[in-house]
Amino acid sequence: MRIAAWLIFVACAHAQATFTHRGFFETRTTLYPQTAVNDSGRAVSEGLLRWEPAWQPSSNWVFAASLDARTDTHRQVEREARFDWQDRRLQRPAFSLRRASVAYHRGGLHVEFGKQFIRWGKADILNPVDRFAPRDFLAVVDNDFLAVMGARVTYERGGNTVDFVATPRFTPSRVPLLNQRWAPLPEEAAQLRFVDMGSRLPGRAQFGLRFSRNAGPYEYSVVFFDGFHYLPLFEGKLSLPGFDVEFTRVYPGLRLYGGDAAVPLPWFTLKTEAAWFTSRTKTADEYVLYVIQLERTVGEWIFVGGYSGEAVTTRRNPVGFAPDRGLADAFLGRASYTLSPTRTIAFEAAVRQSGDGTWLKTEYTHTFGRNWRSVAGFTLIRGVPADFLGQYRRNSHALLAIRYSF
Amino acid sequence: MAQDPRQIIEEVQRRNRSQSQRYEGTLTVTSAKSRVAEKRWRFERIGSFGDSKSVLRFIDPPEVKGVALLIHNHKDRSSDQWMWTPELQRDRRIALQDRSTRFFGTDFSFEDLEERDVDQFDFKLLGEEKLEGEDCWKLESRPRQTKTSQYTHSYVWVRKDLFLFMMVEGYKGGELMRRIAYRDYQNVKGLWTAKTMEVFDNKRNSRTTMKLEKLDYNLPMKDGDFTLQALRRPL
Repeated sequence: MRIAAWLIFVACAHAQATFTHRGFFETRTTLYPQTAVNDSGRAVSEGLLRWEPAWQPSSNWVFAASLDARTDTHRQVEREARFDWQDRRLQRPAFSLRRASVAYHRGGLHVEFGKQFIRWGKADILNPVDRFAPRDFLAVVDNDFLAVMGARVTYERGGNTVDFVATPRFTPSRVPLLNQRWAPLPEEAAQLRFVDMGSRLPGRAQFGLRFSRNAGPYEYSVVFFDGFHYLPLFEGKLSLPGFDVEFTRVYPGLRLYGGDAAVPLPWFTLKTEAAWFTSRTKTADEYVLYVIQLERTVGEWIFVGGYSGEAVTTRRNPVGFAPDRGLADAFLGRASYTLSPTRTIAFEAAVRQSGDGTWLKTEYTHTFGRNWRSVAGFTLIRGVPADFLGQYRRNSHALLAIRYSF
Repeated sequence: MAQDPRQIIEEVQRRNRSQSQRYEGTLTVTSAKSRVAEKRWRFERIGSFGDSKSVLRFIDPPEVKGVALLIHNHKDRSSDQWMWTPELQRDRRIALQDRSTRFFGTDFSFEDLEERDVDQFDFKLLGEEKLEGEDCWKLESRPRQTKTSQYTHSYVWVRKDLFLFMMVEGYKGGELMRRIAYRDYQNVKGLWTAKTMEVFDNKRNSRTTMKLEKLDYNLPMKDGDFTLQALRRPL
């Protein structure tokens, strides 16, 4: 409280305060041609109001926040009228504090406290070193980032940057809801009853250190992380009389060593990212995840194409939800074309090397006037049930969204 | 003195030298099919020719508000550029081979937004011409080896009385790529500045007109506001 009062005092003491804000209201409807084993719904509509104010009381201080109010037709959003500031529940909160941070900078020093977004890495579709960026995976392939609670200290000098992050409170990724199509259950499991015993969230803080160099023609960084994976493993036990499967989400310890680089070549920019995931948790695999991608802009086209791979160093066969590893051993691509100043079309694809899973997405965006934007898209998912992408083969969908920005 | 093309450009730069600059630009983009889009950005620069740093941040329309470009200009080579997209919370370095693409739906390419320092080009005086009633020198500039450019050469018209750029045409081989015309010169704090710039993209047949407002020079600015960390700030 004293710190907050002091910050407010500092803020009020300065006369040249500036305030800015931005936000939008968006409605989004997703249409699924097929039903799923555990979900007969074919249409999901959502509404989201987001407001992002920022206040600069003096040249050194910035207060930034982001507030969400949302609802939907598919109970991915809580019906409870409460205000959430933690983003740790299974459903999306109806009213939430998405970001609230205070930043101080002086010279090359930049310090930010509070709930904030931290993005590490250079690649576009998969980021193995992006360890402070949990996501909302309720609809696995259309996901959004969640902020983390903590402190970030960055010192930048002459193209070298040291970035230290500590998060005392763990934020997990939001995983698909058990009674919905993005938690695909095999048909054989229809007789089982799954009982959610909740999540065992880690209590200890997480730390990360990144050194990056941005000067010169190429960029690179090295990363160390000690904490927990934001994607869960499932611990389950079968209770025979009722064929109940009781499961708990646990978040394995993670120590990660990684790096990324961006090297401009005559025709392309080569971007690469790799990380070695080690863990003391006895049920967690240890593995190396890497991405190599080429990027090029030609006229109105932007092309990104690459490959993501995985090498398991210690296999323990965990049961978990791992979209990052699910996109490994796959060819990834993205292309976007600007049709006019107000219209773009984009294509994204992930094709597993084995051919067992394919995800293709196309999206057309049209802006109207200063404030309106509409998006129409279609996502095709195909594959075999045993594959990470293939298991969502009944979840191909069309998307319509309208956004009013202010 | 004025017959030496390099000295002409040096004099243009000397007369335009300032420690910092700030303006708000309103950009009207008109496509070949007469579709019009309007954008607005705030531009801040610290330092002067050869070693300046600038940040350009969109302030309107709301859809792109917060998108920012950081440019570190160098005396001996092409600039370094990074773009910040608030929706992704990521910065992305703009590779040299991608600098010929248009900047965020405007007719400026990324390269057009960097500084054209005298040391990065070789100049040739082609003659004298009248442009919009003003006596001008017409010069040809060719990028030196250390400078990566989409243009094989450019023609530059410099107003003789005030040493001001009137027009720049960028060519690739024999083909005109872009034409930038400078208009509405006004004296702000002793510096003559074009308050209207019109960029014509010959390939797309589209044009962007930028009008400068709230223009000011030699304001106190900090080096720390022109870093990658500063780019992340919402203000």
